[in-house]
Amino acid sequence: MSVPTPPGVPAPGSVPAADVRAELRAGMASLAAPEAPSGAAVTSDLSIDETLLLHSIGWVPVDLVNGVSVYAVPGGVWVWSQGEIAPATEAHQRAVGAAVARLRRECEHVGGAGVVGVEVTIEVHPHHVDVELVGTAVRPAVAPPAGRRGHRGPLPEVFVSDLSARDFVLLHGAGWAPLGLAYGTSFVNVPRRSASTALQQRTQNVELANFTNALYSARESGMERMQETALHLGATGVVAVHVAEGPLSFARHAVQFSAWGTAVTLVADAHQRIAPEVVLSLDDRDIAFAAQSLRGR
Amino acid sequence: MTAEPPDAPVPTAAGEAAAGEADVPREAAARLATRSSASALSIPDLAACLEAGLEPVGLVQGFCAMQWAFYGAGSPYLRSASPLSGLPRGAYSEQWACPHGFVSAEHRMWGQNYEQPWVEAAWAQGFGSAFQRMLEEAGDAGAHGVIGVVDTARHLADMNVVEFHVLGTAVVVRDAPPPPGERPWSTYLAGMRLTKLLEAGMMPVSVVAAMVSVRVWASCVTEYLSEGQAYGWGTAGTAEIEQVSRARAAARSLARQRIRDQLGADELHGARAGLDSRELGQGDEVVECTLRGTRVRRFKHVDPLPAPRPTVRLG
Repeated sequence: MSVPTPPGVPAPGSVPAADVRAELRAGMASLAAPEAPSGAAVTSDLSIDETLLLHSIGWVPVDLVNGVSVYAVPGGVWVWSQGEIAPATEAHQRAVGAAVARLRRECEHVGGAGVVGVEVTIEVHPHHVDVELVGTAVRPAVAPPAGRRGHRGPLPEVFVSDLSARDFVLLHGAGWAPLGLAYGTSFVNVPRRSASTALQQRTQNVELANFTNALYSARESGMERMQETALHLGATGVVAVHVAEGPLSFARHAVQFSAWGTAVTLVADAHQRIAPEVVLSLDDRDIAFAAQSLRGR
Repeated sequence: MTAEPPDAPVPTAAGEAAAGEADVPREAAARLATRSSASALSIPDLAACLEAGLEPVGLVQGFCAMQWAFYGAGSPYLRSASPLSGLPRGAYSEQWACPHGFVSAEHRMWGQNYEQPWVEAAWAQGFGSAFQRMLEEAGDAGAHGVIGVVDTARHLADMNVVEFHVLGTAVVVRDAPPPPGERPWSTYLAGMRLTKLLEAGMMPVSVVAAMVSVRVWASCVTEYLSEGQAYGWGTAGTAEIEQVSRARAAARSLARQRIRDQLGADELHGARAGLDSRELGQGDEVVECTLRGTRVRRFKHVDPLPAPRPTVRLG
């Protein structure tokens, strides 16, 4: 594998397998020992696999962090009109922006260098947009979080990313670094068809170009805004993009397109090629043959 | 397992005494006194636990049905009184003043976010009782720990009653001394994940959980914004509903703090947070955040694992 091994991290195969029974007894003995005085307890929503993966590249979880924002959508904006529904788009953009800023501040407050595994929950209601972001702040185990640098210059002190810990480790191994959460959204009114067009199309299999065009319009605006936030962060790309699109349950004449992902930049001199090893697992759950075939039928 | 009639005598005097001391139902004590064991573990989890020296001795459970106190400080029935007067010291509370002055008797002159300790106490009592009963069953079975814990809380019928149910698989470690205080350790993990946790130098101490309930008593501005209305000249655009944002953030932060208070010098692993916000109309809402996970203790320093080898699975 071409992923560089960080200083202090053992090479593959150099750590002997542990005796789990001995570990269990040692662990149980620790429960009987006097409890250490309270300190800054670590809280994390990472799985043990994710914790170990982070540990393998010299990073550790610090604390659970969250960012919340609820923005009001003015009344009357969902009345069937034309073009983009700017107040709703603005409320959505500002709500996500405020939630991301709060998540970043909480991460800074607990001494993290970034947030991984952010769970993004966005709900659009007729009169408000609710955004909640929850993730785990992480930091390098040894190096101080301040002063992250890439070969193109300083990186932000704290990054926000909705990448899983596994994806973060892979990205790290490939020589890239997350910079922040890029996001963009757009709400667009679907243009009305004329009465004659609606009547003509009533019994036909026909594409409703007004809906298609509205979706394209929302898509272009949403993607453009996401790219703008990524460029603002100094990113060269956005990875693991999530998309939410379609009509709104309370305004069927309007369509929404939202996209968000992690803005990344290359911090190594060049992309580090990860040559994956091909494996054929023996725990295939699919039974693709009928039992009769075994008897030659 | 052999089914015992509900009024069957407990087989042993020791079992009866244990049941009496530990508040374990007689039926449970009788069942636990039998030699057969049940387990909620999947076969791979069972295999991994046996490999680690954990032997299942029984499926242990605890139940508790709690009625929610309806009348507390700040409940809708005490709208005219300040809920601050009923809040314990240190409980979260924030106020919002009306910027308009007197408008009408129906106008909301002030708004508040405040913690609802009586709701939190009911939840803690319900969860705590069910959890404690499960541990008592495990203790009676001579278990060292309870693994694969699952907990649920659901409303019964349409009443103001919540049923808490906690279950897990009691395990023993052969020839090991009893757990400190004879209180079994417990964890949401089982099988391979538990084994990896041990190999990573972390020992589960206990399942920990906390619930925080925050009531939003909307100010006039919150009410107007939540209804899509302007609240003054030049306020027709988008604006943050600060009172609601702060209530939700506070619920999450307080839940994290309550969990921290249970950790001592240990760590919280595999946290799961749930936020439930129920709009009660006109900007009023109740925000409830539940946070749970496994308290773990580091018992040794572990060197990082070797850098992972990326693989592509065929099939």
